[in-house]
Amino acid sequence: MNFSTPSFPTNPTPPTTAFSAPAILSGSGLVKTYGSSTALAGVDIAVRAGESVAIMGASGSGKTTLLHTLAGITSPDSGRVEFQSAAGAVDVTAMNERDRSRLRREAFGFVFQQGLLIPELTAIENTALPLMLAGYPRREAEGRAQHWLAALGLAGMEARRIGELSGGQAQRVAIARAQVTGATVVFADEPTGALDSATSDDVMSALLGSTVGQGHALIVVTHDETVAARCSRIIRLRDGRTDATAGVAAGSTGTGVSA
Amino acid sequence: MTATSTVTPPMASAVRISGRAPIARLTWLLARPSAQSAAVLVLPAIAFAVTTALMLIVLGGALMFWRWTPDETPDSGVYQMLSVLALALLLVPLASLGGAAARLSARRRDDRLATLRLLGATPSVVTRMTVLESTAVAVLGSLVGVVLYLAAMPLVGLIPFAGAPIGGGELWVGFGVLALVILAVAALAALSAAIGLRQVTISPLGVRTRQSAPKMHWMRIVLGVLIIAVAFGGLSAFPTIGDYVVMIAILGTAFAVGVAVLNLIGPWAISVAAKMSLRRASTPAKLLAARGILESPKAAWRQVSGVAMTSFVSVVAGTGIAFVNTLTGDYEADTFLLLADVQTGITITVVASFLMVACSVGVNQAAGILDRRDLYVSLDRLGMPREVIEKSRSRTVMSPLRFVTLGSALIGAVLVLPLVGISIVVAPLSIVTIAGCLVGGVLLVWLSLKATTPVLTRVLSQPERL
Repeated sequence: MNFSTPSFPTNPTPPTTAFSAPAILSGSGLVKTYGSSTALAGVDIAVRAGESVAIMGASGSGKTTLLHTLAGITSPDSGRVEFQSAAGAVDVTAMNERDRSRLRREAFGFVFQQGLLIPELTAIENTALPLMLAGYPRREAEGRAQHWLAALGLAGMEARRIGELSGGQAQRVAIARAQVTGATVVFADEPTGALDSATSDDVMSALLGSTVGQGHALIVVTHDETVAARCSRIIRLRDGRTDATAGVAAGSTGTGVSA
Repeated sequence: MTATSTVTPPMASAVRISGRAPIARLTWLLARPSAQSAAVLVLPAIAFAVTTALMLIVLGGALMFWRWTPDETPDSGVYQMLSVLALALLLVPLASLGGAAARLSARRRDDRLATLRLLGATPSVVTRMTVLESTAVAVLGSLVGVVLYLAAMPLVGLIPFAGAPIGGGELWVGFGVLALVILAVAALAALSAAIGLRQVTISPLGVRTRQSAPKMHWMRIVLGVLIIAVAFGGLSAFPTIGDYVVMIAILGTAFAVGVAVLNLIGPWAISVAAKMSLRRASTPAKLLAARGILESPKAAWRQVSGVAMTSFVSVVAGTGIAFVNTLTGDYEADTFLLLADVQTGITITVVASFLMVACSVGVNQAAGILDRRDLYVSLDRLGMPREVIEKSRSRTVMSPLRFVTLGSALIGAVLVLPLVGISIVVAPLSIVTIAGCLVGGVLLVWLSLKATTPVLTRVLSQPERL
């Protein structure tokens, strides 16, 4: 499958020129402890629109906690997360549970390692769900979902249940679900963790094409160097801090960011 | 331990290997509460306890009638026959509650057992371990159930029959029956575990690899109608009935046939209704609920089928009694008492069957949340509002329940339509009582569903544990 010339449905957000734009999502001085163990010990991070950032590090280095904190899933003990929404800057850390849930639903997209799609729903129903949650009529939601599935090479599989799809196909449904609302930031936690290398490559292309290719930001937690190398930037964590000794720049192969 | 430079693995020949897995030791090892919550063992134990307690109370009541003699109570035969009817009515929800407990106890072990299979345990080892554990949990639970039964006896004893409260002592079943009930619960658990675990023992890989939703064939309804026709023909072959025993036998057969037909048609009807609501579903909660029911119409039916027969019988019999009761006022005192008692009996049966359904709904829902914990956590992370999850859970249970309760009540009402009309006018209170019982029962199930919300809250509040 070729994703170099993706024809994804257009979203209302215009593509932003990378690196010149202000950060769409930023965290400063993020600290999070669980009991006696420190997951984040003061992390600063800024992600721009049209940028893909890989977060790497050993198990327990705090990468998933960082992702969850940036996404408003967990609240940091101290520090601040700011998101540049269409209506202006919002302080994610100051929001209550309900508002954060709404933010995740409407402004962010998520792709997890196992997809975690709802097994009894079909591919199109899974994809349309975020739109239905946002109040779209089902017909309209499924119409948009269908476009996304087709753009991700899943035309004809709309009515299949998740169990009838391969691992790579299921991840694409998850990608479609993450982008169907036009989320400007997509968070991916080991999106290729359960896939073989060829499929992993395909899924990564689809993920980059549908996010960065649309001018949106992508934040990927991964332990796979090949996956990280495809992002425009790598942030390495060690013991809850960004590792200064690690190389900063990664190859920008296939992301189309430099365009 | 001697200091050696290289680590030598213990040689197989150095250890005497019996070739037999220490089933009891392994089971105990895996049964201890570990990282997984204690709910794994506690939930089925509670379910078995409730099953046992309800079974003992119901049996105690029925046995009480069978101790009555015609000398003391002229209508003792009628009471005995009706008690068999009530027992038969309660058998279905009781079996489904017991089944839910047994399946829960077996299903909760799936993951570990699949792992054991991968490690090389033979299917027979895995099966014996599961059966042993489920049975142990069942016995433990039913012992708790005996205590519950003893505690509830004085309270249930306040219910009046034949003009006076029956008294707690009357409900004592005796040690023999007590032992039999515990044995029956243990056997049910063992059997369920053995059957339920077949998939795991067949394939060590993937416990949940179901790919397509089961389809309900329309032949079910054809078959159902055929069975009813044959049974009806068979029943009318008995022209006059004199003996109670014969009558009870016929009643029992009619009942078994009725239950069999309901079990044939029920899942099909539920799947048809769910398909209709799937097409119309306009909100995420409705969509999720419809798909959830279609995922297993049989399970949805099993959960609520207990009230199908009860709700039907309560409408037919309740209306009949209400009508007869008001027909003439100058009954003998005995007949009047009998009619009042039948009404009491109907109320008890309706309440008991809803109680059992409520219990099995609670057990099934709690198990369902624990089973799908990572999915719920991920949906929460995606920003799905908790109310949507709650609403869909609620709809998945309540819509089949409403469908079954209303459906069978309506069929019952249609059958005795003229009587319903008259009774509403002349005995509104009786009709209100029946309706109230049904509504109350549905509410009870809803409450039990709500009682499982903290389980979801707990799962969602600890997403970091995943």
